[in-house]
Amino acid sequence: MIEVHDLHKSYGAIHAVRGASFVAHTGRITGILGPNGAGKTTTLRIISSLVKPDKGTARVDGIDVGAEPLTVRSRLGVLPDSRGLYPRLTTREHWRYFGRLQGVEREQLESRIVDLARLLEVVPLLDRRVEGFSQGERTKVAIGRVLVHEPSNLILDEATNGLDVMSTRALRSVIQNLAAAGTAVLFSTHIMQEVAALCQQIVVFAAGRVVAEGTAEELRAKADRDNLEDAFVSLIGSGEGLVA
Amino acid sequence: MKLRARLVRAVLEKEILDHGRDRRSLLATLILPAVGPLALVAIFQVVSDIQQSHPLVVPVQGAERAPLLMSQLEQQGVQLERVETNPIELVKSAQRDAALVVSKNFEERSSQARSAKVTLYTDAARPRAAASGHRLELMLVNYSQELGALRLLARGVSPEILKPLQVDSVEVSSQQKRSAQLLNVVPLLLMLSAFVGGMNIAIDATAGERERGSLEPLLNNPITRAEVIVGKWLTTTSSSTLVALISSFGFLIAGFLLPLEELDIKLYLGPAQAVRMFLCALPLAPFGAALQMLVASTARSFKEAQTYLNLLNFLPMMPAMFLMLHPSDAASWMALIPTVAQVTSIVDILEGESPGLLRFGLMWGSTLLYTAVLLWGLSRVLEREKTVFGR
Repeated sequence: MIEVHDLHKSYGAIHAVRGASFVAHTGRITGILGPNGAGKTTTLRIISSLVKPDKGTARVDGIDVGAEPLTVRSRLGVLPDSRGLYPRLTTREHWRYFGRLQGVEREQLESRIVDLARLLEVVPLLDRRVEGFSQGERTKVAIGRVLVHEPSNLILDEATNGLDVMSTRALRSVIQNLAAAGTAVLFSTHIMQEVAALCQQIVVFAAGRVVAEGTAEELRAKADRDNLEDAFVSLIGSGEGLVA
Repeated sequence: MKLRARLVRAVLEKEILDHGRDRRSLLATLILPAVGPLALVAIFQVVSDIQQSHPLVVPVQGAERAPLLMSQLEQQGVQLERVETNPIELVKSAQRDAALVVSKNFEERSSQARSAKVTLYTDAARPRAAASGHRLELMLVNYSQELGALRLLARGVSPEILKPLQVDSVEVSSQQKRSAQLLNVVPLLLMLSAFVGGMNIAIDATAGERERGSLEPLLNNPITRAEVIVGKWLTTTSSSTLVALISSFGFLIAGFLLPLEELDIKLYLGPAQAVRMFLCALPLAPFGAALQMLVASTARSFKEAQTYLNLLNFLPMMPAMFLMLHPSDAASWMALIPTVAQVTSIVDILEGESPGLLRFGLMWGSTLLYTAVLLWGLSRVLEREKTVFGR
C-alpha cells in the first residue's frame, strides 16, 4: 500500500507539487492521470525516496519514506521514465544485477530470472546484449528488472511508452495478474485510454494537485459527463497535454 | 558510514563485466602503458646511433692533390674512398654521411702557403650525417690550425698570436644526473598511466550513467550513494593500477633493451627500481580515479566529461615539466603533493637512491586522505537531484 499525504515540492519559483494526497491500495491498480507537467513524476520520485518533499509525508506499507528510504526501496519496484539500460549487458545480467542489489539469494534469483523471462515473453532475448533491442524489448527488460525481487508495491511511470499494440496488451495482462496476486500498482500516464482500460482507481492530477479521485464511473458522475474523455477535460480544466 | 560489502561487490562485478566488454576502450587503455617504454627505447636507439662512433667512410675527389691532409685523416681513422666524379650525390642519396672535394689548385696554393680550398658535403637533415660532418670538420680545422702554426713558426712568429683566448670547458654534472635528465620522461609516463589508466571507466561510471539515464533506476534499489560510489571507484582504481603495473613492467623491459653501455650511461633501472617506481606511482591510481570521477560527475554527457578530463590530465604533467626545467632536490613537503611526490621520488630511484620510508609514508598517507575527501565530494554531487535526474 502506498499512502501520500499533503505533499509539496518546489523547484525555485516552480511549485511542482502543491498538496497532493492519495492512497494506492494493495491488490489494486491505481492510475495517475494528468497532463505533462502536472507533477506526476515528481510525486512518484518522492514516493521512491529519491526526491525529498518540502512538506508532507509518503508511506509505503506503512513505512515512512523519509525515515527508512532503504527499507522502502526494497518494498518498491520502480520503473522510472528513463529506462537506463546498459547496452553491453544481456537481459539476464540486468536482472541479476538488480536482483543482487535487492538482496535476492543467488539460487532463488536464477530461477526467478527464468520465470520472469517466460512471464514477459523474452526467453529468446535472455542472453543477448540489449544494445540491439527494440523500444518494446527494452521496456520489457526494464520492467523485469524492477520485478526481480517480487516487490509488494509497483510504480510504473509511462510504462507503455514506445510499446506496440501487442506488447501493450501483454503488459496490461502482466500488471493485472500482479495486482490480482496482491501487489499495489501505481500507474502513471497521460494516455486516457490506458487508465480506462486498466485502473480500478483513478487519481487525476492537474497543476500539482489531485483534482479528482475515484473509479471511472464515479469520475463521469462527478463531472456530469457521459464520456470519460469529456469528464477528464472538465476536471482538469483543459485537455491540453493529454492523449486520448 | 557503513558500507555493505555485498552491495559494493555487486556494483564492482557489474562494472568489471560491463567494461570488460568495451573492447575499444579496453584496447586504448592497455596500449597506453606500452607506448611509453617503446618510445623510450626508440628514442635511445636514435640517440645512440648518432653518438656512436661509426667508422667514418668519406669519398674524396682529388685526393691525390692533398696527400698530407689525406694521410692525416687516415691516421685519425677516416676511411677514404678515392672517387673520380663529384661525390655530392653519394651524400644526397644517404649512401655516405660526408664527402670531400679537393680544389683543382690545391697543390699550387698550398706550395705558396696560401689558403687552399676543400669542400665538405654533409646533410644536416640526417642527425647521423650531421654528426659525422661535424667530426670531419673538426679534423679539418685542427689540421688547418696545426699547419698554420707550423708556417708561423717557420717565419719566427709565435702561433699563440693567433690564439688570444684559450677556452677550456669542463662538464660538472655527474654521469647519473645527466642520464636521469634524459630519462625524465619515465616518471612522467609512469605517473600518467597511474593517473589516467581508469579514465574511460571513470567517465562511463559517472557522466555515462547520467547520459544513459541509468542513475535513477540504479538508485531506486536499496543501496546507498556511498556503496555505489565505492564500487565504481574500486573498478576505476583497479583499471589504473593494472595500467601502472604494465607501465612499470614495460620500463623494466626497456631497461634491459636500452643500449645504456654504448651511450656510456650509468642508470638504475632493474627489478628493484621497477618495484619502487610502481609503489611510488600507485597512490595516484585511487587518487586519480576519485578526482576524475568527481570531475566527470559534473558533466551531463560522455563527450563533455572527456573534454574536462583531457584538461584535467594536464595537471599531473605540470610539476613534471617544471621539475624538468628547474631540477631541484626533493624536500619532504613535496611528498605531500600528489604528482610532485611521484616525480621527485622516481627521479631519485632512477639515480640510484631510495626515497625512504618516511617519504613513502607521507606520499601514501596524504594521497589516500585526499582521495577520501574527493569521494565524499562525489557523494555530495550524487545526492543532488539535478545529478540523478538532470540530463
